[in-house]
Amino acid sequence: MNNPYRPIKAVVLEAITETPTIKTIRFKPEEEITFKTGQFVEITIPGVGEAPFTPSSRPSVKDIMEVSVMRVGRVTEKVHELKKDDIIGVRGPFGAGYPLDKFNGKEILVVGGGCGFAPLRSLMYELFDRRKEFKNLFFRGGCKNPKELLYRKEIDGWRQKKDLDLRLTVDVADNQWQDNVGVVTSILDSVDMDYAKGIAVVCGPPIAMKFTTLKLVDMGFKDENIYLSMEKNMSCGIGKCGHCRIGTYYACKDGPVFTYDKIKNFHEIWD
Amino acid sequence: MNTDKKELYISRDNFFRMLDVLKNEYEVYIPVKKGEKRFYKKYVDSNDNIVIGEVRAFEPLKAFFTEARESVAKDFSAEIPDKKEKPYAVVGVKACDLKGFKVHDHVFQNHDYNDPFYIRKRQRNLIISADCTFAIDTCFCLALGVNPYPERDFDINLSQMGEGFVVIAGSPKGEAIIEKNAQLFEDAKKEQVAQRAKKRTNVVREVEENIKKNSIPRQESYKDIIKKNYESSLWEDEAKTCVECGACNTICPTCHCFLLYDQKDKDKMERLRIWDSCMIKDFARVAGGANPRSKLWMRLRNRFEKKFDFFPKVADVYACTGCGRCVSACPAKIDIRKVLKRLVKHEK
Repeated sequence: MNNPYRPIKAVVLEAITETPTIKTIRFKPEEEITFKTGQFVEITIPGVGEAPFTPSSRPSVKDIMEVSVMRVGRVTEKVHELKKDDIIGVRGPFGAGYPLDKFNGKEILVVGGGCGFAPLRSLMYELFDRRKEFKNLFFRGGCKNPKELLYRKEIDGWRQKKDLDLRLTVDVADNQWQDNVGVVTSILDSVDMDYAKGIAVVCGPPIAMKFTTLKLVDMGFKDENIYLSMEKNMSCGIGKCGHCRIGTYYACKDGPVFTYDKIKNFHEIWD
Repeated sequence: MNTDKKELYISRDNFFRMLDVLKNEYEVYIPVKKGEKRFYKKYVDSNDNIVIGEVRAFEPLKAFFTEARESVAKDFSAEIPDKKEKPYAVVGVKACDLKGFKVHDHVFQNHDYNDPFYIRKRQRNLIISADCTFAIDTCFCLALGVNPYPERDFDINLSQMGEGFVVIAGSPKGEAIIEKNAQLFEDAKKEQVAQRAKKRTNVVREVEENIKKNSIPRQESYKDIIKKNYESSLWEDEAKTCVECGACNTICPTCHCFLLYDQKDKDKMERLRIWDSCMIKDFARVAGGANPRSKLWMRLRNRFEKKFDFFPKVADVYACTGCGRCVSACPAKIDIRKVLKRLVKHEK
């Protein structure tokens, strides 16, 4: 039987500074790890501990993975010190990921906030790669200020795509900022689609997720078509350690992506 | 002698002879009385103050299946670390502890993912359980549908009878051990089996008295108690004296939560699995700082929600065995029997 607690050795290929608080770590695991977009992995800093991250890279690239990590705690502090050739560990992937087959033939709205762009980049790659399977595609993203905008260059490149409707917003703009100023919910009205039939994917800080979800419901999206990435204290990844319980589910094995109808009646979901 | 699914008898002396044989294959642990309590101790010989009957030991049985602190990974090795040469044989296990398996089996081996450490111990360990011979005032197993004598999940069960035990096998493993030591057993007499039933009835009566005296509600009345009382002020009220020590969790035969803790072992990395407690502030806190249960009373409510709402929904079992350990262990005198009473009464 496999040991589910054992990390696979991986070597860091590159540490990219994205924003003042976020770095992307590119690494190559010794054994191939195949993941579906939306699934997460546990990254081990040897002897220090591990923490959960959803890969921000292309799922179809099997041998190299990327995670974008905000410096917020004991493990992420160490992640930010990583440099080329350092050794880390990876466990996973865990959870269910986005069921892209259910998006088939539908219009899709992807809403991201702050560090929530990381898992969504992986999703966007997959949506771009399978673009023909879906109807209109919308991306709405928000963050604190232009400096904190993750993958800024890359996302600016997405603006050239004819088959993507993209708008961004910041809480506080600088002189160069040309898009919207305000919270992310303020740019949702510009999405022109049949809400009742559409798919919405939301990932961001809990407060942004909460208000976005409430707004989406108000706009007419169906609860079962709103996909939320729940940030909980995932540790073991296999529904045993008890830390990430949401009602009758564990975020690690039953999520971390849940449709709103599954969890809306549970307490504490936005806390 | 026919050992097939029927009651046998073994004298106390012969029983210890059997344990001496089992010592070759198992690390045998047995309850030893110290003051008013019983603690599991490694069996050496029969000279200790061994008590096979009486009531549950101080420590929960789970300690032999998911250890309080256990190495689960070394460096990046795919091998499963296991320093233990011999499995455990745990003697004198009581029915309340055996109910814990219903929860732990669900968590560690019966749902989506298997835990190799637990499964290995579950396959290899031996359980020699025993009937309770009396109840102490914290016992309320019957309220949770558990009788004070083992009915399942044991390999061999003992019912104390004078200077020996009426014995029954509960698994092929138990049968094989009896078979191998057949010369130590004899068929139980009809009167002994009748005597066993009488003794059991007496202990049942004692537990019933506890339940009546403390008006402890029975599990049939637990449906929706969490939902109905979710916003109740009773949680704040009950949590007032809590000191967040986590004893209620660690002592509980059903609590299973753990923490993965990494440390450096010389130059290598070692990952430990350590029992955790949902009463501790950071249990559900995420790295960004958000904590869905920042207040003690929320964590107390969560502990009851897990036991009386989550587990009945996912595994069809209330995650309480009526062992009463949390009642005795709590320095703040938070009493699960009283909380249940308030929940069922739906007190504001």
